[in-house]
Amino acid sequence: MKARKLALLLLPLAALCGCGQQRVLERLGFININSYDLLPDGQLKMVAFIPKITGEGDSQTGESSSGQTGNVQMSGQTSGEVLTTTAHSSKEARMIQSRQTNWELVSGQLRNTLFGISVAKQGLWPYVDTLIRDPTISPRLKLSIVDGEAGDMLNKNYPQHPGVGRYIDRLLEKEIQDQGIPRVLLYDFERDYFDDGLDPVMPILKDAGDNVEISGIALFRDDKYVARIDSKDGVLLHMLRGKTRNGEINIEAPDGGKGLSHAMLSSLASNRKFKVGKDAAGRISVRITLDVEASVLEYMGELKIGDDRQRAKLEALIAESLKDRAENLIDLMRKNRADGIGAGTAVRNHIGYAAWKNMNWREEWAGAKITVHVKMKINNFGKFR
Amino acid sequence: MNVFTFLFRTLRGRIAQPSGHPQSRTPAKRGSSDVLSMQHVLDEFRDCADLTHRSFPEIQVHLVYFSFLSDPDKLDRDVIRPLRGVTREEVPRLLRETQFQAVTDRKQLIEGILKGQTALFYRDEPYLVDVLGPKERSIGQSETETVITGPHDAFNENAGSNLSLIRKRVRSSHLKVVKLSVGEVAKNDVYVLYIDGIVNPIYVQKIIERVRQIEVDAITDTSMLIQYIDDSPLSIFPQFLTSERPDAIASKLVSGRVIGMMDGSPSAFSAPTSLFEFFTSSDDYYQRWLLGTGTRLLRFVAFGITVTFTALYVAVATYHYEMIPANLLPTFVESRSRVPFPPVYEALLMETTIELLREAGARLPTKIGQTIGIVGGIVIGQAAVQAGFTSNILIIAVASSAIASFVIPSYVMSASIRLVRFGLILLAGLWGNFGLAIGLAFVVIHLSGLTSLGASFISPLAPLQFKDWKDTFIRAPFKMLKERPEQTEALNPVRMKTRK
Repeated sequence: MKARKLALLLLPLAALCGCGQQRVLERLGFININSYDLLPDGQLKMVAFIPKITGEGDSQTGESSSGQTGNVQMSGQTSGEVLTTTAHSSKEARMIQSRQTNWELVSGQLRNTLFGISVAKQGLWPYVDTLIRDPTISPRLKLSIVDGEAGDMLNKNYPQHPGVGRYIDRLLEKEIQDQGIPRVLLYDFERDYFDDGLDPVMPILKDAGDNVEISGIALFRDDKYVARIDSKDGVLLHMLRGKTRNGEINIEAPDGGKGLSHAMLSSLASNRKFKVGKDAAGRISVRITLDVEASVLEYMGELKIGDDRQRAKLEALIAESLKDRAENLIDLMRKNRADGIGAGTAVRNHIGYAAWKNMNWREEWAGAKITVHVKMKINNFGKFR
Repeated sequence: MNVFTFLFRTLRGRIAQPSGHPQSRTPAKRGSSDVLSMQHVLDEFRDCADLTHRSFPEIQVHLVYFSFLSDPDKLDRDVIRPLRGVTREEVPRLLRETQFQAVTDRKQLIEGILKGQTALFYRDEPYLVDVLGPKERSIGQSETETVITGPHDAFNENAGSNLSLIRKRVRSSHLKVVKLSVGEVAKNDVYVLYIDGIVNPIYVQKIIERVRQIEVDAITDTSMLIQYIDDSPLSIFPQFLTSERPDAIASKLVSGRVIGMMDGSPSAFSAPTSLFEFFTSSDDYYQRWLLGTGTRLLRFVAFGITVTFTALYVAVATYHYEMIPANLLPTFVESRSRVPFPPVYEALLMETTIELLREAGARLPTKIGQTIGIVGGIVIGQAAVQAGFTSNILIIAVASSAIASFVIPSYVMSASIRLVRFGLILLAGLWGNFGLAIGLAFVVIHLSGLTSLGASFISPLAPLQFKDWKDTFIRAPFKMLKERPEQTEALNPVRMKTRK
């Protein structure tokens, strides 16, 4: 009885609270993609892109109330509003931006954030921290680095593609699906950043005239950009970071006597295993095993892949080539004191927390003995023997 | 709270005076001492223009009956012709024939005449002859509960033929029928059916008791009757399942439920009922089990759609733009941008229009009803969007929730659910998804509190009975349906022998 009266009293209160937060769809400006750049004077340059999708007062949309929605979508998307500001912080930039537009700016539809390489070198954490704190921003937000000025990419019009936000989003989405680049969502970056013994990575985008291309993958030490690897090693990095399903990689092996010039591995599935031990001098050693299965649909060389014995030889050659490339990749990371593959997590699990705390993994990582073993199996070579 | 109790009391008038009255309806002894003269009967029925009084002066026989309630052929064959053929001395011998029942009780005599029997007076000694034959609708197809396969016959307004439809399906001497009467003025017959040895007698007793306690002038239909005897008359949901399909009712009987029927009503009710029974149809059993399971699950999906879809639209368009997929966003915003109303008004407007259409279609004759559908479809589908009254996404939401609501086999339940939807739309307009969740929580709380004849209304869900789920949410193969539902608390819970 009392509880019911109390509830009756509280209900209208709750109703009144709710009214302030209405965000009616047609009054909103959805920021689709935004970017951060660091200016030489230390200020932050922030660019936000709002795809123009409403056709208010537009005669075209007036006619197309039924049936032609596809058309409207296309014509509405080509133009967008680009808001550029310089400020000291991202939230200040948002305030300035909202003064430049008639829309109520919201970031709930934010799908991509681009960081200029200048910001990345300084450290991304302060910006990522803000993004995580905002509850309207999805943890599935994709993060990338732009080789150059990130803001310029948003200001540019890519004539073949409707709306730069959708364009970049789909480009990254597709590459993540094909496992050419690691998936770096806000969530992934945050997890990798806080995980002991693992450093984040991030795809690098580059303006290539009429297009945007993925030019490589950035290696981080904590939240700072330190080095980059080529985009052709993207799948390899993926394989070294964990399980891979359905990858594709091109192998150019050194001539192993008989000669393997070129093989394309597709439907590649691989498993990675770490085995941590100690060498004779008592230093940590890590043995990385890659268990790779793939189908070879394109091969140019002298071996006959239809023949079991020759195919075994080809497998060995490919394994050798993969091993070399993996070791090169790891050497680059070690030189930059960045552990992008997470060998540190395996070591941490092996030696226990106290020993891990006493160890400076970055230095150990640079000096430790790391070996890569590749088990290669061609499980399919097409419908022609 | 006092207001509620008051309303409650008024609505269930039977509770106000709980004792003493049931006896008054049973024939009292004083009847035998009453004078049973024809004059008294004629006095009783004075000003009844439809009463016929025929006399055969030479043999001192008088007939009193309602001509429209009796079958003229039968009357002629069984009464008039034999009377014509006898002399005064032969009359007592004729009246010993079995169709003439001597009556000693005045009340019985009056009721017999009211029922359509013919009263025969020979020297002020009354007899009753059964020549009933009122006009009735023939047994036809069910209009509201159609099936694709399976029997198509449905109850009509005559209790006798309805009972025969049940008897034809359940040929067992254990099928018992209790006859009660309800309505102080109209005196309608109520039949309570159950299968002795399966049914739990507590439920039979409860039904009989509740029907006896009703004191009202007249009840004209089963759907009205169940509102007098259900557990929570104020609830939005019906607590007894009504059906006009004899096969459905027969299956409820053998699963241990109590069936109630009324003379003059084409539907029977079954009790105790669980909420999920409203989502089942006889077709589920006539089709193969996977198909039956599929359709049954489809109905639960439809329930979800009809309750939440429009409310979700309102919540998303007002508060939660984050939930819209990127690919849908342009279309969504574009369709909303020309609408001058906030989403909640827009949604209420459209929902009301749909309800208007539905109600208009239901009240009009079928031929005009179709026109309404076409006019409504064009007006809603095209003009409203073009005029910028609503967004086309809302049209989709409203239309699909309307369609989904018609998937639910029980019309009463589907109407109740549609009403719930309005509340949820309002809540969604106030508090977004939060409000929607609160509203749904209230519905769930309310449903869990309901009882049907004292048994839980959401039976296999609470109290949890996983073994009943295979005939509730899915329709498992018959091989697996070995026991009667737990809710009925049947005396004999086994419905199929397990072969070794």
